[in-house]
Amino acid sequence: MFENIKKEFSTRTLVLIPIAIAINIAIGELVVRLKLPVYLDSIGTVLVGAIAGPWAGALTGGLANLIWGLFNPFAAPFFYVAAAIGLMAGLAGKRGAFQNETPRWVSVVVGAVFVFSLTLFILAFINASTDETGYTSYPSMGQLFSQYIVAFIAAILIGAAIGYFLLQKGGYAGMWGLITGVIAAIISAPTAAYVFGGVTGAGTDLLVAAFRASGGGILASVLAQGSVSDPFDKMLSFMVVWLIVRSLPARFTSR
Amino acid sequence: MNAFSMYAARESGLHSLHPLTKILMTLLLVAAGLALPGNWTGYFIVVFIIFPLAFWGRVFLNLLSTTWKVSLPFAISVILIQSFFWGEGTPIFEIGVLSPKWEGAMFAAVSMGKIILVMSGFLLFSMTTRPDTLMITLKQAGVPSSIAYIIVTTLQIVPSFQRKALTILDAQRSRGLETEGNLYVRARAFIPIILPLVLGSLMEVEERAIAIESRGFNSGKKETSLIEIPDTPLQKVIRRVILFGIFAFIVFGVLWRL
Amino acid sequence: MAFVILKDLAYQYPSSTGLVLENISLQIQEGEFVSIIGPNGAGKSTLCYALAGFVPHFFKGEISGEVEVDGRKSSESTLDEWALNVGLAFQNPFNQISGAKYTVFEEIAFGLENIGVPRDEMKKRVEDAMSLTGISDLADRSPYSLSGGQQQRVALTSILVMRPRLLVLDEPTSQMDPVGTREVFGVVRKMAEEGMTVVMVEHKVEWIANFADRVIALKDGQILIEGKPNEVLTSDLLIENGFGISRYTSAAREARKRGLWKKEKLPVTLDEAVEGFKS
Repeated sequence: MFENIKKEFSTRTLVLIPIAIAINIAIGELVVRLKLPVYLDSIGTVLVGAIAGPWAGALTGGLANLIWGLFNPFAAPFFYVAAAIGLMAGLAGKRGAFQNETPRWVSVVVGAVFVFSLTLFILAFINASTDETGYTSYPSMGQLFSQYIVAFIAAILIGAAIGYFLLQKGGYAGMWGLITGVIAAIISAPTAAYVFGGVTGAGTDLLVAAFRASGGGILASVLAQGSVSDPFDKMLSFMVVWLIVRSLPARFTSR
Repeated sequence: MNAFSMYAARESGLHSLHPLTKILMTLLLVAAGLALPGNWTGYFIVVFIIFPLAFWGRVFLNLLSTTWKVSLPFAISVILIQSFFWGEGTPIFEIGVLSPKWEGAMFAAVSMGKIILVMSGFLLFSMTTRPDTLMITLKQAGVPSSIAYIIVTTLQIVPSFQRKALTILDAQRSRGLETEGNLYVRARAFIPIILPLVLGSLMEVEERAIAIESRGFNSGKKETSLIEIPDTPLQKVIRRVILFGIFAFIVFGVLWRL
Repeated sequence: MAFVILKDLAYQYPSSTGLVLENISLQIQEGEFVSIIGPNGAGKSTLCYALAGFVPHFFKGEISGEVEVDGRKSSESTLDEWALNVGLAFQNPFNQISGAKYTVFEEIAFGLENIGVPRDEMKKRVEDAMSLTGISDLADRSPYSLSGGQQQRVALTSILVMRPRLLVLDEPTSQMDPVGTREVFGVVRKMAEEGMTVVMVEHKVEWIANFADRVIALKDGQILIEGKPNEVLTSDLLIENGFGISRYTSAAREARKRGLWKKEKLPVTLDEAVEGFKS
């Protein structure tokens, strides 16, 4: 195992990592300049994971946030989230998610399942009720289905469309991105909630506020916000890296 | 020094301190601010200790404006959200369903104090410490030299990347790429800008690696360093005292809360 | 025995078709200054990488034959050991800046730090190397603030300071003006006289004729012709194979057709041309 880790950190990788961090920052700023409603500030991290492996990806993510923290101290406490994103990208890369094409129907299924679960999650959250003792109860699946059947059908159709038109042949990469986004949302929520009281100064604070207004606690609201914005963002990042890796000469990607 | 860094080159006593002394000092102030009781300890330390230190380091205005810029959007967000969603409390005013609470605003102000303390402490440190001397110090303290290389190199190449991204943006615009307009138009502009940026820099990776390998980057020999970091016996003693102080504050902070 | 020996060297990059180098056999004596010329895609850079150990250690791919320097085979050595004896500087100076240093002086010291040279000796060696290549006045500048030509000098100095026994240079003057180019050739000549073996890829044939001991013309990965600069650089084979030749050679060839050039040997440099036309 240590031999493998050592192999990941060749001189090539050590040179790649600063470039990847610079890519994170440059693209992150570009997105702001183009006023796109996403972050896309981990493309470099995902790229290192895809090309060099999970440990190199994790190191890139962690260092990126710590270095960014020299300028914006809010980034630093989330270094472990960025590291997890790099690690996940590396695992995806090891399974060929960035090299292979996905049949388009698989992409359709991935998209549909994802948007369906997201809808289920949000509806369950909105319909949760808290009694006087502080015990929170969630509605049953059956209840939700009968109540919101139109919403669920719409969700599946939208998801399928996302899969067909957006993921196209990068379904596996997109799927890994979605999973990574969910993990990122879950593990970043405690820090966002307890260190920063659920506020990070970004536009997504409004979303947190909306969830709190609907009755959620700080942690739950942060988690709900994260699970709406993170998976989509990471899915796009993984897709962009999939595009990049496929336009690279083979000698970069063969490890 | 055209690098992606907060470092402000000045001649000052604070600048000439050993980086380890400075980082321990920063940690001591942060530990004190978080461990000592009292709602306003953070603000107190910022005003009465960090600001005078910044004067000594001749970076006071610099520190003040950077801290202000970084914390303002956060402060506004915290105060609004905490006061409007506080639950039970004394209302500041009431307009329909909107009723911000004093307790929420106070809570926000108290937690801002801690955040401003941590932020201004570390900003003061980065403004008065050259990144490369910090890295030499860290290497001497046992951080692998590859990590040190990554950090210093990142700080140097980020500005050139920001320039490169803007150059590509302009070039694509002059070729007729639409970068203004509705969301779809702006999103479509994204890929033609980042693909050249990323692919171009990946092509550089190989040559960069070859260049540093040719210069013994992996020689496996014990490294030496050109820059000597001045240290004094007094600072060595002070560092021990500070280390003890940090430990004491942590113990005190834990015991006091039990 | 020769200092550098290439025996039937053939090489193919991974995931590419066709050999980049084929049948290269070559011997270079210690202290010799050999220049390599050839059109784009002739395999010049790959040959440099092979001499410096990056082929095959860094690029992988398939290699056959041997590269031997000072009695040691590159196939039996690691890249890190190899780099201590063989230094490489290449065309693009921007990518040769380590990025880890803030001034030119520190940049040049980077390699010496890596191999653990003590501080006092390091300073002396950096100062000496900088005055040799004429960049002492750049010592406190940021490497990123320099012009392309200046950066190329810094890259060359950064390798010279390591005191390799074999110096491999791949178009080290491409961004320099004539004055800079002349100085670099002068420095390289001087190093060769002090015993450093030099292999230099260059297009500027007039300077090669003035300074190099031997010229090797490479085409399609094979050695087309090699020998004394004046013989190789005026050979008909070069023109038949589309190599760039000196304008003085072209002029003299035209002159010869009209009976205006009497000497048997064609010129490469201005001096040779002037002398030839005088007689």
